[in-house]
Amino acid sequence: MLRNLRHASLASRLYSTAPESSKPSLKLVAQLRKLTEVSITKAREALSASNNDVNAALEWLQKDLVATGAKKAAKVGGRETGEGLISVSVLSSGVGSGSGAGFGGVRAAMIELNCETDFVGRNELFGRLAADIAHTAAYISDPSGSQSSPFHQFSLDALKDAPLLSQADPSAKPSGTVATSIRDMIAKIGENISLRRALTVVEGAPKSQAGVGLRLGSYIHGSINQPTQGRIGGLALLALKSPNIATLVASDAFRGDMERLERSLARQIIGFDTRSVDGPAGDESSLYNQPFMMYAGDENGQPVRDVLKSWSTQHGLSEGAEESGAAVLDFAKWTVGEPLDTHSDA
Amino acid sequence: MLPFPTCKVVSRGLASATSSFLHVCRNPAQKPALASFNLIARRGYAEQFSRTKPHMNIGTIGHVDHGKTTLTAAITKVLSSQGGAKFTDYNQIDKAPEEKARGITINSAHVEYETENRHYGHIDCPGHADYIKNMITGAAQMDGAIIVVSATDGQMPQTREHLLLARQVGVKRLVVFINKVDQISDPEMLELVDMEMRDLLSTYNFEGEDTPIIMGSALAALEGRNDDIGSTKILELVKACDEWLELPPRDLEKPFLMPVEDVFSISGRGTVATGRVERGVATKGTDVEVIGFGNSFKTTLTGIEMFHKELDRAEAGDNMGALLRGVKREQIRRGQVIVAPGSMKAAKKFLAQLYILTKDEGGRYTPFMSNYRPQCFIRTADITVALTFPEDTPDAAEKMVMPGDNVEMVCSLVFDVALEVGTRFTLRESNKTIGTGIVTKILETA
Repeated sequence: MLRNLRHASLASRLYSTAPESSKPSLKLVAQLRKLTEVSITKAREALSASNNDVNAALEWLQKDLVATGAKKAAKVGGRETGEGLISVSVLSSGVGSGSGAGFGGVRAAMIELNCETDFVGRNELFGRLAADIAHTAAYISDPSGSQSSPFHQFSLDALKDAPLLSQADPSAKPSGTVATSIRDMIAKIGENISLRRALTVVEGAPKSQAGVGLRLGSYIHGSINQPTQGRIGGLALLALKSPNIATLVASDAFRGDMERLERSLARQIIGFDTRSVDGPAGDESSLYNQPFMMYAGDENGQPVRDVLKSWSTQHGLSEGAEESGAAVLDFAKWTVGEPLDTHSDA
Repeated sequence: MLPFPTCKVVSRGLASATSSFLHVCRNPAQKPALASFNLIARRGYAEQFSRTKPHMNIGTIGHVDHGKTTLTAAITKVLSSQGGAKFTDYNQIDKAPEEKARGITINSAHVEYETENRHYGHIDCPGHADYIKNMITGAAQMDGAIIVVSATDGQMPQTREHLLLARQVGVKRLVVFINKVDQISDPEMLELVDMEMRDLLSTYNFEGEDTPIIMGSALAALEGRNDDIGSTKILELVKACDEWLELPPRDLEKPFLMPVEDVFSISGRGTVATGRVERGVATKGTDVEVIGFGNSFKTTLTGIEMFHKELDRAEAGDNMGALLRGVKREQIRRGQVIVAPGSMKAAKKFLAQLYILTKDEGGRYTPFMSNYRPQCFIRTADITVALTFPEDTPDAAEKMVMPGDNVEMVCSLVFDVALEVGTRFTLRESNKTIGTGIVTKILETA
């Protein structure tokens, strides 16, 4: 205290007319920290540079982030990032979703954003960034067209250059690209953060006469703050083939059952060591052969193949056509920090 | 008679094996039956572990770049000059031993040092999930913690997560070390770091106003320069730990508790319950309470027997037979506990932090859902338990628990059993251990 007083009196003697422009007060630094969560040193520098005007300091910080963020990112760039989140964004889950004629397309994305410690992985700011990136990927992705798998890897470079769309407020103006947002987060958090992979599934609504409805089921395991992100994420794409599909999905009861089935399938894929949809009999790593333990109902424990068949019959999918019923087309399952290329269809 | 620390560890249930293993590894001279004691003294390459100072487990938590490891190294260096530690350089600490005992990975570095008043075991807290797992399985423990914050950055967004962890694992008091003070130009900024930390501590229900905050430079201490911000501050820090962090009560000081292992009826004497005293001291003639299994009652300890000899006093670690006044053999059974009256209650429903073992650790292969019913082994009791998600969990009916998960669940026992916050137990299913847990809150007493 004494030191402060002495300093103040000294200053006032030297610059008797000018206010203390060079020395930001604690209060202002604290305020700026509350607004931006930048480091103390940075907050002080910003205030000094902008004559203790908080708004100007905010602008200064914004500009400064480009340089210091890049510096910080370069500094921590080599460090291993083994923690983080899988974040899923489902904009449209397929037939029966939203309004319209009952035929919806599928539009969704799954991304993995990594950091160094799970303390950061549990942090809300980090979670929000992951959610926004997933949302952006789902939003900007083009229909996959005639690719072999409906799940396609989204180019990380393209995603990083895209403006970051806010998931919570889609109408908000993007404050930067995905890459700059990651860089800003590195500057704030001080840990290396990397976008490891992204996949999207975009399928247009099939022609109504085709009698096929697509559905996307998802399940996230180990979520902390938001139910759409966690340690393991799984997406499963289903085809509901029936000439009556349009009338069926109009019913709330049917849609409820359908969503339950999707979620059960996604849980089954995550909970068990699932590597393919179908395989030779006895191969428990293929979904259809597994006992459906995650299905809540009388048929719990029956093979997935049989449960799907009887579900289709019970729900009137199988009437009037040969190639009808519910089928799993493909799925994707990601775990945070797992070695890549273990999964063929991701 | 066994020395008491070993017994304490044994009584912890499954986790004990790991943990006692660790204890032994860390302090080779602690293991010692009498014979090896002499041997060690004679050979003279392992120092004798002195039990004169109370022991406490302490941990460092903080951001990756704020100097936790440097601080740990600095503490050992400064204390080693007083003979209170062996200097452990940071590359030794950073190479945290990945010990695999019983398939449970422990990846937190263990370092020990002594101050004038205490002996500390020091761990570096690796990550949230890792630490929680270590805590549940009993492999690592923090009774107090040092939060390390760099003066240049101040607290960071993830400092909240650090404090939340400390809260969750039951650390009641912290000491703050503000590091790298030599790297800032304006000392006034330290006031801000101080102020913000106190604010944040209070937000998370720590005693923000009274928590000691020490400002210094761990690197200066490690390099032996600028003693005013280096070694002096390190000494101040350990002094603050000594004074502020509370010692957990020792087992001998806790109220008496003996889990009943077996019951005999001895003609001419009465009913004798045998077991190993988990904690506290009992003397012949004191009142005790038998609790658990819906049949709790008070009685008097009319006799204590050990090795077929009668004695007046039994203490933690002793295997004893308790002769109970006016108790029929049918009134008491394995799984109940004999305790100092009023010191404990029987509970049927509680909240617990669980760790579910992975397939590689010998656990389940598949996930389970709400209302899973394994066997719960608490001390000597073996009771079926139903596991459900806490009430406010969204989509609880569709949530699953996978092997390897740390999860908080509501446990509803078929019978009531003596429980309190901190009691450990294991979950088993068809003779296979599938998880371990620690009670975090009692929801319903019997």
